[in-house]
Amino acid sequence: MSDLAETLMPIAELRRNQPRFRGLEAGHLACLGCGQALAARLVTEAAGPDVAVANATGCLEVFTTAWPQSAWRVPWLHSLFENAAAIASGMEAALKAQGKPAKVLAFGGDGGTFDIGFQALSGMLERGHNVLYVCFDNEAYMNTGVQRSSSTPHAAMTTTSPPGKARMGKRHLKKDIISIIAAHNIPYAATASVAYPSDIRKKVRRALEIDGPAFINIHSPCPLGWGHDGSLSIEMARLAVECGLFPVVELERGALTGTMPLRAPRPVTDYLKPQQRFAHLFQNDPRAKEELEHLQALADHNIETYGLRGERPDPLDSAGADTVRRGGVRWA
Amino acid sequence: MVIYTRGGFALPETSLASKTGTWRLQRPVHRHSSAPCHTACPAGENPQAYLAQVAEGRWREAWETLVAVNPLPAITGRVCDHPCESGCNRGQYDEAIAIHNVERFLGDQAIREGWAYPVTPPSVNAHRVAVVGAGPAGLSAAYHLCRLGCQVTLLDALPEAGGTLRTALPPYRLPREVLAQETQQLLAIGIEFLAHHALGRDVSLDELCTDYRAVFLGPGRQQGREWSVDGRVPADLHTGLRLLQEWVAVGTIPNVKSAAIVGGGNSAVDLARVLRKTGAEVHVITHDALPKLGVPPEGAMKAIPREVKQAREEGVMFHEYRGIQRLILRGERVVGVEMVHMKKLPRPDGSIEIVPFEGTETVLHVEQVIPAIGQVVLATGMERILEGSPFFTVDLWGHVVNHPGVFAGGDARKGSRGTVSGAVGDGRRAALAIDGYLRGAEASEHRAEAIPLESLNLNYFEHEPRAEEPLLPVEQRSGDAEVASGLIQPQVMAESQRCFSCGACLACDNCWTLCPDQSVLKTKELASDGSHYVFDYDYCKGCGLCARECPSGYIVMEDELLFAGLT
Repeated sequence: MSDLAETLMPIAELRRNQPRFRGLEAGHLACLGCGQALAARLVTEAAGPDVAVANATGCLEVFTTAWPQSAWRVPWLHSLFENAAAIASGMEAALKAQGKPAKVLAFGGDGGTFDIGFQALSGMLERGHNVLYVCFDNEAYMNTGVQRSSSTPHAAMTTTSPPGKARMGKRHLKKDIISIIAAHNIPYAATASVAYPSDIRKKVRRALEIDGPAFINIHSPCPLGWGHDGSLSIEMARLAVECGLFPVVELERGALTGTMPLRAPRPVTDYLKPQQRFAHLFQNDPRAKEELEHLQALADHNIETYGLRGERPDPLDSAGADTVRRGGVRWA
Repeated sequence: MVIYTRGGFALPETSLASKTGTWRLQRPVHRHSSAPCHTACPAGENPQAYLAQVAEGRWREAWETLVAVNPLPAITGRVCDHPCESGCNRGQYDEAIAIHNVERFLGDQAIREGWAYPVTPPSVNAHRVAVVGAGPAGLSAAYHLCRLGCQVTLLDALPEAGGTLRTALPPYRLPREVLAQETQQLLAIGIEFLAHHALGRDVSLDELCTDYRAVFLGPGRQQGREWSVDGRVPADLHTGLRLLQEWVAVGTIPNVKSAAIVGGGNSAVDLARVLRKTGAEVHVITHDALPKLGVPPEGAMKAIPREVKQAREEGVMFHEYRGIQRLILRGERVVGVEMVHMKKLPRPDGSIEIVPFEGTETVLHVEQVIPAIGQVVLATGMERILEGSPFFTVDLWGHVVNHPGVFAGGDARKGSRGTVSGAVGDGRRAALAIDGYLRGAEASEHRAEAIPLESLNLNYFEHEPRAEEPLLPVEQRSGDAEVASGLIQPQVMAESQRCFSCGACLACDNCWTLCPDQSVLKTKELASDGSHYVFDYDYCKGCGLCARECPSGYIVMEDELLFAGLT
C-alpha cells in the first residue's frame, strides 16, 4: 500500500487534479445511481470546457442547480421546458456575432425533447444552427413524478399510464424520435447508452467536429421511475441495448451510417423483469403474455430494421464495446 | 459575501458545499480477495499479483514478487502440475491463463539477465540453521531462512544441489542447464552449501542439533517401496525410480523389447517415456483413471496430465483401472503379467478399497515388470526422528512432533503429494516457523477463501484464446531436447492481459468512469498494489453502481452503520 500512501494528496486537491475535464461536479442532488447524471457528466467531459449549455427544465436542471449553488463548471443557462433549442440557437448566433469559437450544447430530457420542446428543436434543426442537442432519455416525466411521455415504452407503467382492467400500462408506442430528427436531413444524429461510455464520448466528439446541427439521444435509466435498484442502472441500460429495444445507431443526412451490432441478442424479458414499471407483465394474465410478445416483436423489428444482428464477434459490438483493460485503455 | 443579481446566477462548482455523502446508507470499500490461482498454489505464489506487474511491463518486479515466495520459478514453471491453472476463474469463461508459462518465462529471464535475488546477506551474529537435503524443499527453506536473516548451512550427499530434480527428472522435462543456473544463482545469495555431506555418514543429526539453533530436514523419498505379487518378485527386480536415476546419471536403461510399469505417478510416466525412446513397447498399469474431463483429481493418476498426454502421443500404452494379479514366470524370468480390472470403491465405513473384478483377467506379454509405486524416506541418520515410520509426521508448519527445533517437509512428509511446488511451500512455511521458533513467536499466515467467478462482472471481458506453447514433434523427441519450448515475450504479455485480476484492482477506470456523482477519484495511472482510486465519501451517495460494475470484484458495499460505530 506504500504506493498509494505516497500519491494520496488531500482529497480536495486530488479532485482538482483529475486527468479529465469535470464539467459536472459532485454535490449535485441526483438520486442514487442516476443514469442522467452519469450521461451528463460523460457528455460534458467529452465536450471539454469550450462550450456553453442551454438546459431545458427537468431533473438535470433541478438537481444540478439548487440555488444558490451550481454543479456546473461550464457556462450554463436554464431555459424554459419548451425552448432549450431556441435559447441554444440564440446563444449560437450571439457567439457567432462576437466571433467566439465556443460550441453550444442544448440539454433536455425526453419530455423536453420528444414532447414539449419538439417544435423549438425542429426549428433549430431546420435553421441549421451549429448546436449539439443532447436528449437524456429516461422514458417519462421523472422530475414531476413519473408521468408518461411520448418516449415511454409501450406497456410501461407510469402514474398516468397505470396498468389495470382497461390497459396493460402505456397503450401507445415509444416515439421513433431518431428517425424524425434524421428526417430534418441534419449532418449527424445518433443514439447512445450510458452502458457504453466510450461510445458516448466518441459520438460527442464526432458531433462537435461537425459544423451544423447534431443530435444525440442517450438512454439513461431512472432507478426511481423504472423501479430498479440504483446499482443496476448500467445493467439495465446494457440489457436494453442487448435485447434490441434500444438500438444504438448513427445517421448522417438521414442515412444509416453506423450501428452497434448485437453479439447475442437477449430476450426482452431479461431487460423487463428487474423493472417495477413492467412488473404487471409478469403476472398470470393472458394480456401480460401478449404484451411481452408485443415488446419482443418490437425488439425484433428494431434488430431487423437496423440490421443489428452481428455476423461475427466484433470489438465494437454490444459485448465488445465495453471491454476493459488494465490501465483504463478502453476509455481512450 | 456573494451578492446575487436579479437574474439569479450561481458560481461554478458551488455544489461542492452540498455534502451528499450524508445520504449514504452503504459505502463502497476496496476489499482485496484472494484469487483462486493464489489459494490453489501449494507453494503459496500469488500469480494474480505478478501477472499484473507483467501486464504493466514491470518484468523484474514481477519476478521479485514471484521469488518472494518461490525461489525456483524456471524449474516449477516447467515441472509443476500447475493447480493454479485448474483453479483459474478464466477457465470457466474460456480458457485458463497459461500461468506456468509466465512463471517459466520470468524465471528464464532472471537467469538470462542475472537478476540477483532480493535478499540482504545475514549479519555475522545471525542465528545459524542447518538444512539437510538440497532438493526443492531444502532449497526453499534455505532461501526463506536467508531472507528472514538466518545464516544457513545446506547439506547434501550429492555433489550438486537439486535433489530429486537432478537425480530423477528427465532432461527433456527439465534441462540440466536451467536447473544448474537457477540453483547456482539461488545459492549465491549467501547460503553455505556443503556437498558430499550425507547425514549419518559425514555428519550426525545430534551434531547438527548441537551446532545449529534449528534443523530442517528435506531428504525426499529415496527408498523404493517393497513390491511383490502374492509374495513373488521377478529376479531382475528394479524399482522405477532406481532405473530412472541410473538413466539420468549414467544413461543406461534396460534393453528390453517390452515392459510393464506398475504405477500412475510421474516416475512411472517419466520412465515409460524414457523406455519408449529405446523403441520398447511400454505399458503403464494403474489403478487410477487417466486424467480427463470429469475425473476428479483424487481419482486420477498422480502424474501431470500434460506429461501423460505427451507420453501417449509418443506411443506409451496406458491401462487405467487395472492391477497385476499374477506374474507369469518362466523359471524366475518374467514372460508376462495377468492384469485385472480394478476400481477404488468406497466401503460403508468410509474407507476406500481396491476391488478386482473376476472374469476381467487379461494376459500381457512383457519381458520386464517395473514397479513404480512410490518411495519412502531412507532412514539413514534420522532413525531417532522417524521411529520406524516411513515418513515424517509434521504439522502445517513442518514441526516434527515431539522434537522441538527439528522441522521437516517436502516429499519426506507424511501426506505429501510429491510435487515440487508442494515441497517449495513446505520449505517456505518451515522457514517462517523456524524464524518464529528462534524469536519465540508463532508463525501464522492468513489464507482467505478464493473469490468465485460469480463475484466478477464478466460483461467487461472478451473471449480470447490462451497462448499454447509449441511442443517438439513426436518424431524428434529422442534425445534430451526439451519437449515444451515455452512462450515468447509478446505471448506472455498477452496472457497477463487476459487475467481477470480476481479480487484485486484491475486499474481499468470502470468505477471512475461510471460514478454518476464524481465521487471516485483516480490516484495514479498505474500501480499494481492497493487500488488506483479513492472514494470521496463527502459526496458518495452509496448507490453501489461501482461495486456492481467492478469487473474484478474488488469493490464491495458495506453497511454505513459499521463505520458510525452504531452496531
